Amino acid sequence: MFDFVRLADNAFYGMAIILFLTGFWIMLSHANLIKKIIGMNIMESAIFLFFVAIGYIKGGSAPILGREGVTYINPLPSALILTGIVVSVSVTAFALALVVKLYQHYGTVNVDEITQIRRGEA
Amino acid sequence: MSEHVAPLIVVLPLATAYSILLFCPKYWRYAQRASLICTGLLVVLTCILAMQVNVRGSVIYHFGNWSPPWGIEFLIDRISAFFLVMVSAISFVVILFANGLLYKEIKERVLGQYYALFLILLASLLGIASSNDLFNVFVFLEISSVSAAALVAVNGNKLALEASVKYLVLSTLGSGSLLLAIANIYMVTGYLNLTFIAEALPQAYALYPLNVLATLGLFVVGLTVKSALYPMHIWLPDAHGSAPTSSSAVLSALVVKVYIIVFLKLIFRVFTLEFVSQVPLQFVLLLMSALAILLGSLLAIRQTDIKKMLAYSTVAQIGYIFMGVGLLTYNGLLGAVLHILNHAIMKAMLFLSAGLLIKLTGKRDIRSLAGVGRIYPLPMIAFSLGSLAMVGIPPLNGFISKWYLSLGALEAGLPIYVLVILVSSFLNGLYYLPIVISAFFGQSTEPTYKPLPIPIGASIALICLCIATIFFGLFSGIPTQYLDPALENWFQL
Amino acid sequence: MRDLIIRVISRFMIPFIQVYGAYIVLYGHLSPGGGFAGGTVIASSIILYILAYGLLSEEKRIPEHFTRVVESAGALFYVFVGLLGVLLGTRFLGNSVAGFPLGIPGRLSSGGTIFLLTFAIGMKVASTMITLFSHLIDEEREEG
Repeated sequence: MFDFVRLADNAFYGMAIILFLTGFWIMLSHANLIKKIIGMNIMESAIFLFFVAIGYIKGGSAPILGREGVTYINPLPSALILTGIVVSVSVTAFALALVVKLYQHYGTVNVDEITQIRRGEA
Repeated sequence: MSEHVAPLIVVLPLATAYSILLFCPKYWRYAQRASLICTGLLVVLTCILAMQVNVRGSVIYHFGNWSPPWGIEFLIDRISAFFLVMVSAISFVVILFANGLLYKEIKERVLGQYYALFLILLASLLGIASSNDLFNVFVFLEISSVSAAALVAVNGNKLALEASVKYLVLSTLGSGSLLLAIANIYMVTGYLNLTFIAEALPQAYALYPLNVLATLGLFVVGLTVKSALYPMHIWLPDAHGSAPTSSSAVLSALVVKVYIIVFLKLIFRVFTLEFVSQVPLQFVLLLMSALAILLGSLLAIRQTDIKKMLAYSTVAQIGYIFMGVGLLTYNGLLGAVLHILNHAIMKAMLFLSAGLLIKLTGKRDIRSLAGVGRIYPLPMIAFSLGSLAMVGIPPLNGFISKWYLSLGALEAGLPIYVLVILVSSFLNGLYYLPIVISAFFGQSTEPTYKPLPIPIGASIALICLCIATIFFGLFSGIPTQYLDPALENWFQL
Repeated sequence: MRDLIIRVISRFMIPFIQVYGAYIVLYGHLSPGGGFAGGTVIASSIILYILAYGLLSEEKRIPEHFTRVVESAGALFYVFVGLLGVLLGTRFLGNSVAGFPLGIPGRLSSGGTIFLLTFAIGMKVASTMITLFSHLIDEEREEG
C-alpha cells in the first residue's frame, strides 16, 4: 500500500521537485531570454523551498527569546536562504540588464532570432 | 598581528574595490594605482600565509571568535595556500599588464568600475580557496560568477553581451545544483563546516545512502558546469574569446581553476578517497576529461580567431586537470595541481600576448599574423614560449605536469590515458606551432611599417610570465615539495 | 501612469513604507528582518514614487552619485566594523569578545555590533536596489 501520510508529510520536497523541473524546463525549452530568466528564478525558488523545508517543524515558531514552551524551528536554513535570495536577486538584475542591452543591439530577445541575425551578418 | 592575515586577504581587495567606487570612479588612473598596490600587497600577504602553513601546518581562523560548527571558519591548507599565492601573483601581473593597455580597450567611463570589479572577483577567488564553510563557499562562488560575467560584458559589444548572458544562465544552473547539494548534505549531516561534514559523513551514508550519492552527483555536475568540463563547456569559448584581454587572461587562468580547487577539497577531504573509489566517479571523470582533451584540441584547430582558439585550448587543458583528479592516484593528482599552476602561467601569457598583438596590429585572424614576430619580437616570443610549453617541450613547465599526469595514468593501470596525452600534445603542436613559424619566418603581405611602442607595464608583465614558465620547468621541485605533505595525507601514504 | 488615485495614495503611503523599512533595519537584531529586508522595503518606497509620478527630470531625482556613495560607504562601514574587532584584540567581526557592550536583551541597544552591521547592510541594499531600478528604467528610456 502506498504510504500517503508519508507523502503528505514530505509535500514540501515534492513541491520543490515539481517547481525545480518546471523552472528547468522553461529555462531549456524557451527561446525568449526573459522567459529563460523567469525559469531560472523558478528553479532557484524551488531550491530555496527545499532548503527552508529542511529546518521546518510543523507548528514551530521563530526562535525569539521570551516565548517559553514553544517549539522552535531551525533558523539556520532560513538565514542562509535569505543570503541565497540576495544572490538570486542580483543575478536576475544583472541578467535583465544584459538582456536590455542585447535588445538594443538586435531588436529582439529571442535567442533563435539573434542567432539568425548573427549568421546573416557574418 | 600575523594571525589576521587570513581574513585580510579577502577584506583588503574588497575594501580597495569599494574605496575605488567611493572616491575615484571617474579618475581611473588612481584606480589603476590603487589596484596595483592592492594586488602587490596581496602577493606579500599570501606569501606570508604560505610560509605560515609551511612552518605551522594549516592556518585556521574563526570569524568573530565563534568556533565551528557555529561560526564561519577559514582553513588554509597547503593546497589552498599554493592556490592563493598563484591567484594573487597572476592577478598582479595581469593588473600590471592592464595598466598599459586597458584604457585603449574599454570605455573610459567604466574603467574605474572595471578595476573595482576585478578586485571583487579577486576577493571572491581568494575567499573560495580559503573558506572551510560550504555556504560561505557558495556565496563566494556566486560573487565570482556574477563578477566574471560582468568582466566579460564590460565592453558592451554584441558578442560579449551574448556570451555573458550564456555564461550567466549556465553558471546559475551550476550554482543551482551546488545549492541543492549543500541542502542535501546539511539535511543528512547537520553541518556546513567541511571538517565536521567529513566526520559525520560515514554515519550519514549508512543511514541515507541515496542522499549522499545524490549530493556527490550534484556537486560533480555543479562544479563541472562552472569549470567547463567537456560536455558543459559551451559557454567558455564565447565568453573567454570575446572578453577584453585582461578579463580573458584572468578568466582562463584563474576563475575556472578555483572550482577545481573546491572539487578537490570535497572529493579528498570530505568524501575521502575510500568512498569515492566505491562509486563510478573515476570512470565518468576520465571519460569526460579524455573527450575534453581530444575534442577541445580538435575544435581549437578549426578556429581562425586567435582568442577563440586559445579559449578552446583552455577547454582541453581543463580536461587535463580533471583527468589528473579522476585518476585518483598520487602522481595524477600532483600532475593536476601542478597543471593548475602551469596552465595559469601559460594561458595568462598566451592571452596577454595575443591581446597585445591584436591591439598592435588590429587583426584577430591567425592567418594575418605572418611576419609579425619580426616587427613585434617581445609579444611573439612570449606567445611562442607559451605555445611550446603547451605542447610540452621538456625544459618548460608544461612538460612537468604532463610528465606527472602520465606517471599517474601508469600508476592507475590505465596506460590508454598516456596515449591520450601524447595525441593531444601532437594536436596542440598542430594548432600552436604554425602560428609561431609563420610569425617568425612567414612573409608579411603588407609593406613593412614602423612598429607602435609597447607599453612598459605590458612588457614587464610578459617578461615576468616568460621567466615563470622557464623557472617552473627547471625547478619543479619547489611546488612539488610544498604540496607533497598535503597529498600524502590525502592518499595516506 | 498619471492616475490621480495612485499618485495621492502613494504620496500618503510612502512615508509609512519608509518608516516601516527603517524599523525593520533597526530592529533586525531583535525581531525577524534585518538589513536586506529593511533595505528592500525602503528602496521599494522610492521605486513606488518613481512608478507613480513617472520619471522625473534629472535634477528632481535622487542623484546617481548619491546612491553610489551611500552604497560604497555602507560596504566600507561594514568592513570597518569588522576590523574594529581586530583592532580591539580579537578576531575579525568580533563582537562581545572584543568588548562591545551587549546591553539588556530585548532593548534596541543590545547586540553589540550587530546593530551597526545591519545598518550598514540596510544602507547598501537600499541604495543598490534604487540604482538597479533606475538603471533598468534608464536603459528602457534611452532606446524608447
